[in-house]
Amino acid sequence: MRAVWIVYRKELIEILRDRRTLMAIAIAALATPLVLTVISQVATRTATQTYTIGYTGDIPIGLDVLVQATGLKLEPVADPAAAAKHQVDIGVAFQTGGDIDEYYDPSRQSAQIASTRLETILGQYDAAQAAVALKSRGIDPGILTPLHLVAHPLSSPVQAASNAFLSFFLPYILITMIITGGFSAALDSTAGERERKTLESLLLTPAPRSRLLLGKIAAVTSISLVAAVAAIVSMFVALSQVALPGSAGSNHITLNPVAVPVMIWVALLIAISFSSVTLALGTLAKSFRQGQAYVTPLYFITIFPASIILFIPDFNPSLSYYLIPILNAVLVLRDAIVHNAVEWANLAVTTVSLVGTGALSWYAALRLFTREALLTRS
Amino acid sequence: MTEAAVAVERLEKTLGKNKVLRGISFSAQPGEIFGLLGPNGAGKTTTLRIISTLLSPESGTVEVVGFDTRKAPEEVRRRIGVVTADIGVYPRLSARENIVYFARLSEVRGVDLKRRVDAVIERLDIRSFADQRAESLSSGQKQKVAIARAIVHDPEVLMFDEPTSNLDVLASREVREFMVESRGRGKCVIFSTHVMHDAERLCDRITILHEGHVVASGTTAEVRGPEPELEDAFLDLVGAK
Repeated sequence: MRAVWIVYRKELIEILRDRRTLMAIAIAALATPLVLTVISQVATRTATQTYTIGYTGDIPIGLDVLVQATGLKLEPVADPAAAAKHQVDIGVAFQTGGDIDEYYDPSRQSAQIASTRLETILGQYDAAQAAVALKSRGIDPGILTPLHLVAHPLSSPVQAASNAFLSFFLPYILITMIITGGFSAALDSTAGERERKTLESLLLTPAPRSRLLLGKIAAVTSISLVAAVAAIVSMFVALSQVALPGSAGSNHITLNPVAVPVMIWVALLIAISFSSVTLALGTLAKSFRQGQAYVTPLYFITIFPASIILFIPDFNPSLSYYLIPILNAVLVLRDAIVHNAVEWANLAVTTVSLVGTGALSWYAALRLFTREALLTRS
Repeated sequence: MTEAAVAVERLEKTLGKNKVLRGISFSAQPGEIFGLLGPNGAGKTTTLRIISTLLSPESGTVEVVGFDTRKAPEEVRRRIGVVTADIGVYPRLSARENIVYFARLSEVRGVDLKRRVDAVIERLDIRSFADQRAESLSSGQKQKVAIARAIVHDPEVLMFDEPTSNLDVLASREVREFMVESRGRGKCVIFSTHVMHDAERLCDRITILHEGHVVASGTTAEVRGPEPELEDAFLDLVGAK
């Protein structure tokens, strides 16, 4: 195994002297805090922003006080329907007899938020008016609410919101950074080796080709993990500095303790698996550029299963789904983050699936690495 | 005659749809420069690649210092050093790091490693740029690094495949001098070229390949025959005259 170590060391030295790889890692480390800061600011602004209601007619007594207390501002306009297009967030026409016409553009997020707030206020206003009327007739207003819902959350709502955020964001960062972090290094050590005409000299050494390939896979795996760790550490540093608004005020996001070892294990599996895949594709290519053309679609293919969690947050699949590479990693990670527990069967199937993918890719890369066309084609 | 360092017997090879080698045979001895001549496409590089185990023979046998290339490829690779026209060096490693890397992969270890690396650096006059990154070296300097990495494990057989085709006059002369020096040290030097002038000056014996066949073999004088220069004999043999 000495040859594996020799190749590993040399590849790491070369990678660390390669500006492209260093830039990918630096961007990985810097991009996450930047994105989180932007998300935090946008979320805070959205939560505290005052939305404007353009109105005509007479405001029901007391409603204006409720409106202002809920982050809405009333502004008289000539035509509420026209004003709701650009001038204000929603338009309202208070009619005689208690009818209210609401005008809003559903394509505007501000209109949706203002509309929801207004509906809530009107519900409260109606209940308050009804209660006053019943009281004046000597009737207990409690008859309006015969059922009382008392919520007993089984976990901290703040932690739940934090978990939900992390279960979306963390798998994405992990997978993206592992792929992009090792991308350049994998191509450089395969297609790049061919392009620089060093491959023939390397194959002329007595070292078995399987060992040469293992050394390269180990180096690419290491650098992928470094990129992923850099991104995740910077993400948690950023999360400790910025807060996301929630129902209980601003919250700092924390990761469940169980999720940490699961994340490390999953990251290792993905890194090994993807290093083998990208090295196999790189071996097929005659040049770095051709290698890029082969590997770039891989990113989109892999990020697609990861996206399922975004669109179906409560996706609870059967065990067989954990055989699908990447999707399984995302699901295992989500389970650990959200439930603070490990489903061992799911983790075992995921491990087998990702190790299998890596082994198959390694075998494919080795077959490519040992065929004569590797030299004669170039 | 001593045991052949390289023995090629009835070698055949097809690449794609092309029958590149059609039963060639020759042998090269220790302490000689053996010329493998022929026009482009004659099969010189394919022959060297089979000798160095990068390609496998379709039929026929190749032995290097008694080891069959098919049965003991790793033993063969321990005993050969190859220098090609395509000077590939790792650009982000220094000249010394390039040489050390190949020495380690060729199983040179311990105190021997430093001694041998220092020796080749000295021998090829690399010291002045040994710690410079290879990306900043000239073609001639890179070729010296390529030679150094090919000989750092002290192989018994050295193969040069058109080693001077990308070099200037001065660097070419240094490569030629190195081949002569290696012959003096008892190495078997196989020199593949289509430059007849170089072959005539350097080679003890030559084999001329044409369309996958051996069309002439012997000492330079024998192959030249009555012609004034080897080039005339060569053109005659390949039917270009």
